[in-house]
Amino acid sequence: MSDRLAPAAQQGVLRLGNRAFPPGQPVVMGIVNRTPDSFFRPAVTWDEAAAMDRVHQVIADGADIVDVGGIPAAPGADVDVAEEIRRTAGFIGAIRSAYPDVVISADTWRHETGRAVCEAGADLLNDSWGGYDARLADVAAEFGAGLVCAHAGRQSPRTRPFRVAYPDVMADVLDHVQLLARRALAAGVRSDRIVIDAAHDFGKNTWHSLEITRRLAEMTATGFPVLVSLSNKDFIGETLNLPPEQRLPGTLAATAICAWHGARIFRVHQVTESRQVIDMVSAIRGDRPPARAVRGLA
Amino acid sequence: MLIAAALCPAPPLLARELTGADPVVPELRRACLDAATDLLQSSPDMIAVVGTGEHTRAFGTRGQLDLAAYAPALALDRLDTGGLDGNAGPVPLPLGLGCRLLDEAGYAGQLALHTVSDGASAADCAALGARLAGTAARVALLVMADGSARRGLKAPGYLDERSFPFDAQVTDAIGAGDMAALLTLDADLARDLMATGRPAWQVLAGAVGEQRPASVIRYCDDPFGVAYLVATLSPQHDAIPTPGRERGGDWLDRP
Repeated sequence: MSDRLAPAAQQGVLRLGNRAFPPGQPVVMGIVNRTPDSFFRPAVTWDEAAAMDRVHQVIADGADIVDVGGIPAAPGADVDVAEEIRRTAGFIGAIRSAYPDVVISADTWRHETGRAVCEAGADLLNDSWGGYDARLADVAAEFGAGLVCAHAGRQSPRTRPFRVAYPDVMADVLDHVQLLARRALAAGVRSDRIVIDAAHDFGKNTWHSLEITRRLAEMTATGFPVLVSLSNKDFIGETLNLPPEQRLPGTLAATAICAWHGARIFRVHQVTESRQVIDMVSAIRGDRPPARAVRGLA
Repeated sequence: MLIAAALCPAPPLLARELTGADPVVPELRRACLDAATDLLQSSPDMIAVVGTGEHTRAFGTRGQLDLAAYAPALALDRLDTGGLDGNAGPVPLPLGLGCRLLDEAGYAGQLALHTVSDGASAADCAALGARLAGTAARVALLVMADGSARRGLKAPGYLDERSFPFDAQVTDAIGAGDMAALLTLDADLARDLMATGRPAWQVLAGAVGEQRPASVIRYCDDPFGVAYLVATLSPQHDAIPTPGRERGGDWLDRP
């Protein structure tokens, strides 16, 4: 193990919107795409009514956070700021009206979009592209929102990794996300609203994503709450040689490992299955009691 | 004098262990090995391996390819990740891959490793090629170079339609032995298309010089949206020196 692994810093309470999540209470973030072209089940929530149905479903299934995105990660047709806002801000406002207490996250790298979604009621800015637009942190600070500080290998938004190499990928992740976290603090984002994310697949090949999964404990040791976004991603598809619609078992295996290493937020497509795995690992870790234990106890 | 040249792509996945259980591109690796074997059969006094890099510079021949930078798990197993003896720090990917190919082909002779800057002008690239070709009586050149990485919606750089005429221009030039055409490649367009091979192709053109070599294309495809071209080129000299004579000294010390 790397000598960078300092004694683990204490994990604290994570505050998002009106909610407070203590350590040991993992949080599920349900993905709701407002795009016609995402990689997993493309376009199923492109229609706004279908998207709202999806929100009702993920909340009913046990999601604590709803993550709304208007732009797929892969390259494709340009989605400008106005279109991104059109896809997300009004919809986030509708979620806020329907669910006053649910945590709403917006998946964006742009500060203009960040401002529009915070005005509409978003509580968390999920910047998967690693601080590409530094002003996003200012927006989070201004609105008292949370901020996800991610590592995308310094790639521009919506680009694919091309022969990326790291002397030590986890060291690079730790350096970058902590740099972003310090900048967020300096910009005025509250320390209990800062989350870090290694961003599997972003600026990484499959071997790199497997490595950060194996070594995720080095991230949780920083004391910052760790978000993992693993759901049906290419590193799982390549590891098991399976298309997106067959990646659930692989997703759950990776989810279990990350939960074991102390990840706090899990960004997922399949909420029910993920929630079960996360709760099971929590119980194995000793963070939560079994739901009902009578075996040998009667 | 240049007696033979081979052109191979330099994607990380050329290293067999990086693609996991599935060999993925065995025919590409086979074509590259055949091209490297062709070089050996020309009985060179020295083989120069050239690839595009950040700077134009020579590398020690005892350096290793650092595959762990692409697949950390390979370092966990302490696998042999290099293609050469010794441990003198990592060499850039194209050079390391080239050395592995030569190792695999059974080459144990004199070697020179050189990167050419991704920003180098055509004239500078050609001058480097001419210099490398002059460092021994019988020089073979292994050029590790890739075409556009923007040849499809799933390509690393997404789709840019300009990729197709650009890569066709390169393939045609190599196929026809038309080195002058390689020297006219548009460097800015190449950069836009993520065609990292542009400077290395121009080193090849400079090494071949004025004449028109015979060529064999062994592989030309883009299975992942990146243009891979494998070829061997045989310059047609009037008087190629006999193997074993007029051996050059250390090429790095020569003017």
